[in-house]
Amino acid sequence: MTEGFKEHPYLGNSQQDVDEMLQYLGLKSIEELYSDIPDDIRFKGELDLPHYKSEYELLEAIKAKMSKNITTREVRSFMGGGVLDIYMPALQDEVLRRTEFYSAYTPYQPETSQGTTQALFEYQSMICELVGMNVANCSLYDWATAVGEAALMASRITKRYKFIYTAATAPNREAVLKNYVVGANLELEEIPYDPTTGKMNIAEAKAKMDNTVAGIYIENPNFLGVIEDGLEEIIADAHEKGVKVVIGADMNSLALLKPPGEYGADICIGEGQTIGGGPLNFGGPLLGILAMQFDRRETRQMPGRIVGVTITANEGERAFANTLETREQHIKRERATSNICTNEGLVALSCAIHLALLGPEGYKDTAETMYLSAHYLVKELEKIGVKRVFNSEFFNTFILDLKIPKSKKQEFINFMLERKIFPGIPYSNDGENYDYIVTTSYLLCEEDLNDYVKAIGEWRS
Amino acid sequence: MYRQAKYDEPLLFELSKKGRRAHLPPRCDFSRDDINIPENMRRTVPPELPELHEGEVMRHYVHLSQQNYCIDTGTYPLGSCTMKYNPKINETVARMEKMMYLHPNQPVESVQGILEVLYELQVALGELAGLKHTTLQTPAGASGEYCGLALIKAYHDDHGDTQRDEIIAPDSSHGTNPASTVMNGMKLIEIKSNEDGRVNMEALKAAVSDKTAGLMLTNPNTLGIFEKDIIEMSRIVKEAGGLLYYDGANFNAIVGKIRPGDMGYDVLHFNLHKTFSTPHGGGGPGSAAVCCNDLLEPYLPIPTIEYDKEKDFYFYNHDRPKSIGKVHGYHGNAAIALRAYTYIAALGFQGLKDTAEHAVLTANYAVRKLEKLDGFRLSHTSEIPRKHEGVLEATPFLRKYDVSGMDIAKMIISRGLHAPTVYFPLIAHEAWMVEPTENENKDRIDQYVQAVSEEMEKAKVDSDYAHDAPKWTSVGRIDSAWSVRNLVLSYKIYKEKKEKGEFVP
Repeated sequence: MTEGFKEHPYLGNSQQDVDEMLQYLGLKSIEELYSDIPDDIRFKGELDLPHYKSEYELLEAIKAKMSKNITTREVRSFMGGGVLDIYMPALQDEVLRRTEFYSAYTPYQPETSQGTTQALFEYQSMICELVGMNVANCSLYDWATAVGEAALMASRITKRYKFIYTAATAPNREAVLKNYVVGANLELEEIPYDPTTGKMNIAEAKAKMDNTVAGIYIENPNFLGVIEDGLEEIIADAHEKGVKVVIGADMNSLALLKPPGEYGADICIGEGQTIGGGPLNFGGPLLGILAMQFDRRETRQMPGRIVGVTITANEGERAFANTLETREQHIKRERATSNICTNEGLVALSCAIHLALLGPEGYKDTAETMYLSAHYLVKELEKIGVKRVFNSEFFNTFILDLKIPKSKKQEFINFMLERKIFPGIPYSNDGENYDYIVTTSYLLCEEDLNDYVKAIGEWRS
Repeated sequence: MYRQAKYDEPLLFELSKKGRRAHLPPRCDFSRDDINIPENMRRTVPPELPELHEGEVMRHYVHLSQQNYCIDTGTYPLGSCTMKYNPKINETVARMEKMMYLHPNQPVESVQGILEVLYELQVALGELAGLKHTTLQTPAGASGEYCGLALIKAYHDDHGDTQRDEIIAPDSSHGTNPASTVMNGMKLIEIKSNEDGRVNMEALKAAVSDKTAGLMLTNPNTLGIFEKDIIEMSRIVKEAGGLLYYDGANFNAIVGKIRPGDMGYDVLHFNLHKTFSTPHGGGGPGSAAVCCNDLLEPYLPIPTIEYDKEKDFYFYNHDRPKSIGKVHGYHGNAAIALRAYTYIAALGFQGLKDTAEHAVLTANYAVRKLEKLDGFRLSHTSEIPRKHEGVLEATPFLRKYDVSGMDIAKMIISRGLHAPTVYFPLIAHEAWMVEPTENENKDRIDQYVQAVSEEMEKAKVDSDYAHDAPKWTSVGRIDSAWSVRNLVLSYKIYKEKKEKGEFVP
């Protein structure tokens, strides 16, 4: 028994309980349970860790620290890049705060976990609807790790060791991809984009594809905001050569754009935070989406948990349970399709609730608002002589041609912050001059957009 | 008496009727006519999302939630999962506007508060690890393993030892250990455990070579037994040129009592959703932290979060040429990290140490009581005290009564309790892996053991009763094989099969 024992609320047992248990075990102190541990590795010092004695003090202390942040709700945020400020309806958090959902474990005992398993099956099914495919897993960590997992999956399916991707892939997703493929020894190659349109160079893509290529990864709209075209042509060519096509989709854009399953993609990945997975939360937790067209052999190469319909043994009733578990690490160990165990289950639930609340109409409404806001913004910016870098079709993201020299970048940030604006994500090709990747959410109203135009105008004058 | 709710709840899609709305998002006044997407790119068929009224959505999820067992329902003694109580203040803190509405790419001066919290958490975890450099970029335990092993591989490659591609792990290790090894392009060398459940030192000596990248070992191991020869193991591995990886899944046993760094480990991951009380979320999100020593620090993922004391300013450091790169799109699961920080600050050093001691006490108490039941035996050895968990074997019961460890687990579920982890680790037979954590009080453990005892008595006279368990849950014993044979993985497939006249439940 250490001296510090103060019957803390997080400890289930009082001193009396402790004494009774020790008595049952025939011990004098808890320390005896550590008696097999060599003395020289025991830690005898004190650590100076943060400690607040009451819940109230703790709350106030953390509030004080966090007050130094400036939130996207205190300014107008034009930041996207893969995550987006969204509004979570009140109902959504009401459900998410139900302890029955958030304090449950992975549903390894499905008979007592039908809440989780059915909700995740519904999530998978809704994702299938958005992307036009018929299988989705019940989450990966985020879009970036989904790129890595998709590359590995394509390699397992094709037994090929080269993966190509477009240069218009977000740098953070590219970085994770590069990391994930090291172990499997995949060779990566980049397909350039056209410097005027921002679209993938189709001829180069086709030239790079041969029977050694496992898969091709294309973001659509891509990181530059541009909607790719000619995808059907690429996909036809890829399939002829046995190459798997992975589309990284902006999940909101799919309300307006043709779903990847419809134009023949094999695998679709993306970020679920932006369609209701949760608040920005400084970039985590997020929700990695992974979907594919069902294939008896290839679906077995999917990483992560999948919930399926099943039946009860005696009554033959409908039930839901994890399925194809022999792909997973707890059964297959070194032969598993991925090491993933803990996933983003509650974020998937959150996303499902959000989509159930929006319905097809709400989903379309929000996407249309994003689209129209961005297009209005571009039109107004053009009026003051500020243009986009790429003059192509776009959804809610574009790159604003600002060419801010590195030396003035901080000044620009401060200037916009004074006007309560996060102007976007800085983007530079050469490390010398910065343009801005601008994204509109559906939370911005016309006045916010006008203020943005005004601020950019003032900066330039 | 326990009765779980049973609603035969339809799927959202089955509740849907055209034209119902559950939420009105903000709409702008721009004309919809201005939407001009070229025909070849346009979506023509809207997704078949469910259409419901708001109240119906709420009912649906309330029904589903009532068909779920959770830590606040009752005892949840899953071994190696550390299902401890999730303090409610953690949830309150994580829902601060100053947390929820932060974009990961915001200017660094606008996120000083969260960076301060993350930095302080890095320092605190580094202290507890005895390994002072920390990254929080890893969103889950397996991601932590992947990252930690990548650091080891990068270290060897950087030192010209590119041939070092073998990770040694005992046959008692968590399934993620071999899987993470393979994801790093390394080979797993599995070594047998002794009869007492500990690593066989001769096997370890025989396994090390100039190809050894490292030893991956959780301590206490998955049997809840402390690997007392860890210093000797460390010597053997290091003399062979390898490094030591600590799988922090079992850290709850030794928080503040023993620091992995002091045992000779070079790198570890902590599961913040285990040891540090953040919720499991029905599968996630969790979060891991990876802590390492000076040897491995240059390879940590970018960016690292650092602090300039002179300017009192937190910043990102991208300028790390030897870094392995990124393992997550942004900074990992920051909102989970904030919960873990809250937990640590609620307990402080002394409190954390108390949690470890109490976790070990409750585990030994539970295991010793269960061991006395007819049909159970403690796996491997009864001599050594367990730490945070212990593994029982139901082999004698299976032989005598044709009722398996899984059957007993299902019977326990009928009682409104949760089963332990079953059939793991693989070196135990009919395994029942029990970890009550420090939250479970003596009365609850007594009730649990009593329930197990009563159910086993019933099974002795009626094995069909056992094979049909659980009862009183929202659905009866599930036939998982059906799902694998039929692969109904989405509502789309369900509908198609139904339309084709194939059987779907």
